Amino acid sequence: MDFEKLRQDFPLLKNKIIYFDSACTSLKPVQVIEAERRYYEEISACAGRSAHLLAKRASEMFEGARERVAKFIGSKPNEVVFTKNATEALNLVVRSLDYSKRSKIVTTKLEHHSLLLPIIEQQRRGAARVEFLPATTSGLVDEASVEMAIDRQTALVAIHHTTNTTGVRAPLEKIVKVAHENGAYVLVDGAQGVPHSQVNFRSLGADFLAFSGHKMLGPTGIGCLVGREEALKELDTFIVGGETAESVRLDGVKFLEPPKKFEGGIQNYAGAAGLAAACEYLSKIGMGRVEEHEKRLAWKLIEAIGSIEGATLYGPKTAEKRCALACFNLGGVKHHQVALMCDSLAKIALRSGFFCAQPAVELMGAAEGAVRASLYIYNTPAEIEAFKETLGKIAMLGR
Amino acid sequence: MLCFVALFVFAFLSLFSAKYRPLAKRAFGCVLRKATLRPCEAGLDEELRAKSIAEIMRVSPRAAVFVNKHFELFSFAFTLLFFLSLAFTAQGVANFVLYGNCNGPEGGFCIYSELQNPALLKSPTTLQGIRAGNLSSDIVVFEFGCYVCPYTAGEENKVRKMLEEYKDRVQFVFKPFPLPSHPYSLEAAVAAACASEGGKYWEYRAELFKDQHKYSSQGDAAFKKTASDLNISGFDECYDKRKFLSQVEATLKEGKECGIYGTPTFFVGGKAFVGKNSADQAEAEIKRLLGRN
Repeated sequence: MDFEKLRQDFPLLKNKIIYFDSACTSLKPVQVIEAERRYYEEISACAGRSAHLLAKRASEMFEGARERVAKFIGSKPNEVVFTKNATEALNLVVRSLDYSKRSKIVTTKLEHHSLLLPIIEQQRRGAARVEFLPATTSGLVDEASVEMAIDRQTALVAIHHTTNTTGVRAPLEKIVKVAHENGAYVLVDGAQGVPHSQVNFRSLGADFLAFSGHKMLGPTGIGCLVGREEALKELDTFIVGGETAESVRLDGVKFLEPPKKFEGGIQNYAGAAGLAAACEYLSKIGMGRVEEHEKRLAWKLIEAIGSIEGATLYGPKTAEKRCALACFNLGGVKHHQVALMCDSLAKIALRSGFFCAQPAVELMGAAEGAVRASLYIYNTPAEIEAFKETLGKIAMLGR
Repeated sequence: MLCFVALFVFAFLSLFSAKYRPLAKRAFGCVLRKATLRPCEAGLDEELRAKSIAEIMRVSPRAAVFVNKHFELFSFAFTLLFFLSLAFTAQGVANFVLYGNCNGPEGGFCIYSELQNPALLKSPTTLQGIRAGNLSSDIVVFEFGCYVCPYTAGEENKVRKMLEEYKDRVQFVFKPFPLPSHPYSLEAAVAAACASEGGKYWEYRAELFKDQHKYSSQGDAAFKKTASDLNISGFDECYDKRKFLSQVEATLKEGKECGIYGTPTFFVGGKAFVGKNSADQAEAEIKRLLGRN
């Protein structure tokens, strides 16, 4: 696969920017932009409602997108619920699960706020109580404590696939096994994992998997909750409205089966078309190749940061357990200044702060925040060289 | 610290371009928080710092390191300078409004005056004033001047030569325009009118321009002493009664209506020439008009 050549598919790269903020949102290839444009120019109708030709096309397109996403993630089409983003998908599960018989949610401090906050909210409302799996300052979940934390009182184990702070994967095989042995559901936050690695929902064994379109070359405003058929049926309604019910009478409502039960109102059809195009694009490359490419970049990235005098790299010091993502600080220079200067000096787009994962960043030892470089398929070793050179200049300010 | 400066700069730029308004809003938020002793949340100060250091780094990494290390000190000094220059500018504007010159009563070079456009001035329509030369000539040279203004004095020699050379072909009208920024300017104009009544205007005028400082500082006594030295009869009575005050005020009013913003101002054939070297420009215009006739 010629990764240099595929850069031509990304219009923004023509501006000679170095985009290292893909964990926030990825760049979009023309194929995705074109798919969205096609919906608005050629269809622009609502699916599953009207009977005219354009509406039929919209239904075909929307359900076709669902099938494409299902194929990409390794699930059945009716296991794919379209949501606004990963945040909505995570909220859907955490807030719609029944905690009357089992009230414990097990999670970690390494989670993104999108997962952490709905869980904390459930505890605040008295619906559930939270137990945190211990994690190390390197951002690794303590495998040894999994059996201790997950018990017969556990309703849900909610955990990341890959963190957005260190790019490290959770020990999901063991967690899923222990959770299921105890009759608990497993919700995996795949917002960082799905775009960067081979994730097959069936092989993963989890009950629910949430991810966003915009972090995997797709458009913003579209995400997915993938859930086992039986598990989805266990969830209560979340956002209800048009096309979520089979019959509506004032003395009783009969809701549709999932995924329709959770897709209230007009959906983001253009977004679904764009997400399907993104899945198609990534499938053509092959997620195995994506992983290999990122692993090469990860090694080089870790090496580059490690070579800067005064730099502190958070998380594991090797790239073995990472995707191409690294959080760091430069001694004596504030994280925002590093990010802003990289932008001014070499058009390098980075993120700085807590990355919507404040407890995780604080746990790593960056009490005031850090800088994050997150790469994707369109990044190159040459860009990492330019990044290294720029960081070297900025690091001088702290000496 | 820099957000204080940023607020003024971006607020000013916002008047002309909408793209600066979000920045002005951020700066305002930052200033508001700093004024209430809270840290700035807008991130504008960090952004300004990073961008400034990055720009310096392009030129000299060493200088960037130095400025970054002492950034708070630099931004404090910069802010102080900014507010000082703002205060001086405000003072200059106030002086300009009150005295017609940004330096106040002392006068001198004023950028606001330089920025004014002579093309917008209107030529006078009356021959009221001190007249000389060929009084029946169609070519009239008007001069609005102040007897204690150094710029009017600076052009005087050229005016005398011009009068001598073109006295048969050109009519010359001097209109006193006493600038309030110069002490005793009005009295000087009244005194010159009294000297004119006594038949020794040009001699008296020469004395006034010869040592302006004397008249600006000594006032009445100096005006009378000069008249006495020139043997101008009836001067003291004329001067004490301010006999020609209304005439002077009339030319002053006329000058204001013409839009005069500095002296000397010459009008030749409808064209205006202001300030330094204006007599040369007026002469060039006279030559052009005579050549055409």
